[in-house]
This record gives sequence, C-alpha cells and structure tokens, in this order.
Amino acid sequence: MILLELAFYFAIMSLIAFGGMSAVMPEAQRLVVEMKQWASAEEFMQLFAVAQAAPGPNILIVSLVGWKVAGFAGSLVALVAMCAPAAALTWWVSNLWERFKDSPWRQAVQRAIAPLLVGLILSGGYVIATPGGSPDWRLWLIAGASAAAFYRARLNPLWILAGGGLMGALLLA
Amino acid sequence: MPVTPPKTLTELFLGFLSIGARSFGGVLPWAHYVMVEKRRWLTPADFAETVGLCQLLPGPNIGNASVLLGKRWFGLRGALVAFLGLMALPYVWVLALAVLYTDYASEPMVRAVITGVGAAGGGLFIGTALKLGRALVRKPPALALIACCFIAVALGRISLLIVLPLAAVAAMVLARADRL
Repeated sequence: MILLELAFYFAIMSLIAFGGMSAVMPEAQRLVVEMKQWASAEEFMQLFAVAQAAPGPNILIVSLVGWKVAGFAGSLVALVAMCAPAAALTWWVSNLWERFKDSPWRQAVQRAIAPLLVGLILSGGYVIATPGGSPDWRLWLIAGASAAAFYRARLNPLWILAGGGLMGALLLA
Repeated sequence: MPVTPPKTLTELFLGFLSIGARSFGGVLPWAHYVMVEKRRWLTPADFAETVGLCQLLPGPNIGNASVLLGKRWFGLRGALVAFLGLMALPYVWVLALAVLYTDYASEPMVRAVITGVGAAGGGLFIGTALKLGRALVRKPPALALIACCFIAVALGRISLLIVLPLAAVAAMVLARADRL
C-alpha cells in the first residue's frame, strides 16, 4: 500500500530533519531514488527545482514526491507525514525548553548541533548538484556560481535560481 | 515598542497566509517581516528565540514556529490554524507548478532550465552551509565533524539513521568538553 509507505518513511524522516529539509535532503534522495525507486535521480532533481521555484518551506518537495507516486492523496499524505511528527515533538519540547533555560546542557546542545547542520546541508547541496552520483561539470559550475553569489551578495535567492535557469538554458539545452 | 498579538483566529490565519504567499526563496525573512515589522505580533528578540528553538528541532523551521506561536496565542486550535495558513498557498502553488511542468517536461529547453534551477538550488544549500560554517572555521573539531558528516552522507551515501546518532554523540562529547 503505497500511501502507507509514504506515510511511514516520511514520518521517520520528519523526526530526523534537524534544521528542516536541507539536512535530510541526502536521505530523501537515497530513499526516493535508490531504495524505493519512486523517481530517477534526474527526476528527483527536477522535483526539487519545482519546489524551489514555489514559495513556502522547501519541505514541500515531499508533497511532490507523494504526488508523483500516488497523485493528489499521495501529496497530502507525504506532506502531513513529514510535518506532523516534528510539530508534535516541537510542541512537547517547547514546554521542556523553558524549564531548562539556564542549564549547561541546553548550551551544549546548541553548540553541538551547529557543525552537524553545516555538514548535512553541505551534503544536501552536493547530492542535488550531482544527480546519480556522477559529476557533471556543467551542473557543478552552476551550483558553484550560485553558492558563491549567495555567499557573497545579499541577493534574494530567487534571482540566483533565475540565474541558474538561464545558465541551464545556455549549457544544458 | 508595544506588541499586539493577534486577537482572533482569522487574524492569525491571514497573517500566516500572507507569509506563505510571499515566501519565495526562503520563509524566514518574510516571517520576520510580517510578524515583527508589519503586524508587530512579537518583539525581535522573542522572534529570534522562538525560531532559534525551532532550528534545533526537526521539521520545517517556520512551520514549527507557526505551531508554537499559534499554541501560545490560541492553544491547539491556534497551532492548527497558523500551520494551515502558512502551508495552504505554497502547497497549491507547488502542485500547480508540478502539473504545468509535467506538461512541458518533454521540451529539451524546459528540462534544461529546470535542471539549471535545481543545480542553483543545490548551490544555495552550499552557500548556506558556508554562511553557517563561517563561525566554526577556527574550531578544528567542528571542521572535522563537518568533514566526517560530508564523507559519510554525501560520498558514502550512508543513511542518516546511522550517521546522525553517532555524530550527535561525538558532537555532544566535544561540546561538553568545550571543544566546539
């Protein structure tokens, strides 16, 4: 039953998505492309691109995966599964968090999580720009230029995505 | 600066709807603009602390923040209303785009553009990691952790269910020993 599978896998991913979708992007790609073969690496990248071009949290890519696999119902099931467990956890932790306001553990957690987040987001970028695990210099060039532009200039990311689309038209068509 | 939290569920819903509607290229800046600058629901410090907590937790950051703020003002009903407000328009938008894209996916030019957008999105991730990582460059243990995560997850393609617990234990040990 495909809806149950979507719900199951994305509910688990919800609970390890520290820092949002960026951190579990490699995991999502592994699940969708390698384990379940719900989409090819190129298709996954294109779904990701469509999700980037829409407003809202980039977690919406899971609703596109759900939609591709099981239509409209799939899109809703995947999105709810990806959001609800994390939201419930947030609700519960927010009560605890107040109580541990001055605990040294709280600061240790904050410091511990920073390098993990950086490592995972970096991995997410790499995995997306290297669909199928085989490097393509044109995609790396677009990704590298976008990373540099985003790092250096305080541009709205939409301009960078538009630039990527333009470079894609020039290099890939 | 006095703050005026939303008084009705409708106000809460419309506020988050307007965040979702305009949050192209990232939700966080727009959440700040609408809730802190325009509607003055929160003080900047309150906003930073709420979002900071959500960044430590799994799930979409502003999605979780909408749950926490809705809960603070109206309880469970508020949490649901705020979350639905935030997600409603982006959800419709992304599905519409996907349907449109499938219609034109066989055009080589459309594929080339969308693949370029995807690669640029990957680049945004890398740029974000660089920005976040800037604060860590003087801490060799942090750089080592970043490298280990990258090797295991990006190159080794090992599941996060394995990598995350191990990395979390290592990071906590280092953080408690004041090395991070």
